[in-house]
Amino acid sequence: MAAGEGINPISQFEVRDIVPIHFGNLNLSYTNSALFMTVVFLLSAGLMLLGTANHALVPGRLQSAAEMTYEFTANMVRQTAGREAMRFFPFVFAIFMFVLFSNILGLIPYTFAITAQIVVTACLAILVNGLVVVYGIRRHGLSWFRLFWPSSVNIALRPVISLIEIISFLSRPISLSVRLFANMLAGHITLQVFGAFVAGLAAAGIFAVLAPLPFVMTIILSAFELLVAFLQAYVFAILTCVYLNDAIHPGH
Amino acid sequence: MAGGPDGERDDDALHARLASLSRSLDAGKSSPDQPDVTSTGEDSTLASAIGLGFRVLTEFVAGIAVGALIGWALDRWLRTSPLLLILFLGLGTAAGFWNVYKIATKPTGSRSA
Repeated sequence: MAAGEGINPISQFEVRDIVPIHFGNLNLSYTNSALFMTVVFLLSAGLMLLGTANHALVPGRLQSAAEMTYEFTANMVRQTAGREAMRFFPFVFAIFMFVLFSNILGLIPYTFAITAQIVVTACLAILVNGLVVVYGIRRHGLSWFRLFWPSSVNIALRPVISLIEIISFLSRPISLSVRLFANMLAGHITLQVFGAFVAGLAAAGIFAVLAPLPFVMTIILSAFELLVAFLQAYVFAILTCVYLNDAIHPGH
Repeated sequence: MAGGPDGERDDDALHARLASLSRSLDAGKSSPDQPDVTSTGEDSTLASAIGLGFRVLTEFVAGIAVGALIGWALDRWLRTSPLLLILFLGLGTAAGFWNVYKIATKPTGSRSA
């Protein structure tokens, strides 16, 4: 192993062109990021299609996995945003599956973590919040903006509170995207740094006896990252429901 | 635009939701999966505590960041250099606390205990 240089914890996030496609100034290349998005799509679609292919009364492994993810997400949508929000179930389910599969796929060595790219998470967050605004206005007209004009507050304080509410609303896409991005980025960097410690110590003569210590840490961190991968997908999906709840019932 | 028919539909939907809520509450009281929740409790509370912690952290920071960004942009636009930045930094901090307060008072997600 190259001990001094060669292990750069950031290089794993580099987007590389696989099939270069250029239209004038536009770079539409098929990158490793796009490749893994395709893989995530195929895996999640494959799970649902194969899982629901034969409707066994006693479900097999794939079928119960597919049914569990469906039930889990459906319960989440119903509990957080109400029965009416089930019209957004396909949207929430798609987001949950995409984030979950890309988080977990990114943990496998030599894969690319899509959700550790701020562009991807920011696009998802803007999509969610854009949907909230568009649906809220379409559904409730301009009265949806009463979300920012809380009637329970003293009229003298209301302009200030309203400004704070607007800033609070604008901070949602940022917190939503940064949370997922930062968790995945930090996790992958930590894993790689501890992996590099193992390689570095093993090549350092007498200190090689210490090499198992960071190795054990890597194992523990891998398990922890698996928890974080699921948890962040869950948090992303449940916040999507919470925000959609604001679009459907702005009075609350 | 959001006048009569929409409002009625809202009311109907609300009644339906209330009915379903009370039904599921009744079901929850006597459901046999209640002990199941507590038996897997340790793992899920740790996980949701981590999730909640990250939520509080990011929402707080995001409020301040957005306030600062708005103040800075308005300052550049109106050439009032530090004034609006200071004002919106304060408002952004308030928005950050407001975000955290909303999380704390309305525990969304897992069943509120």
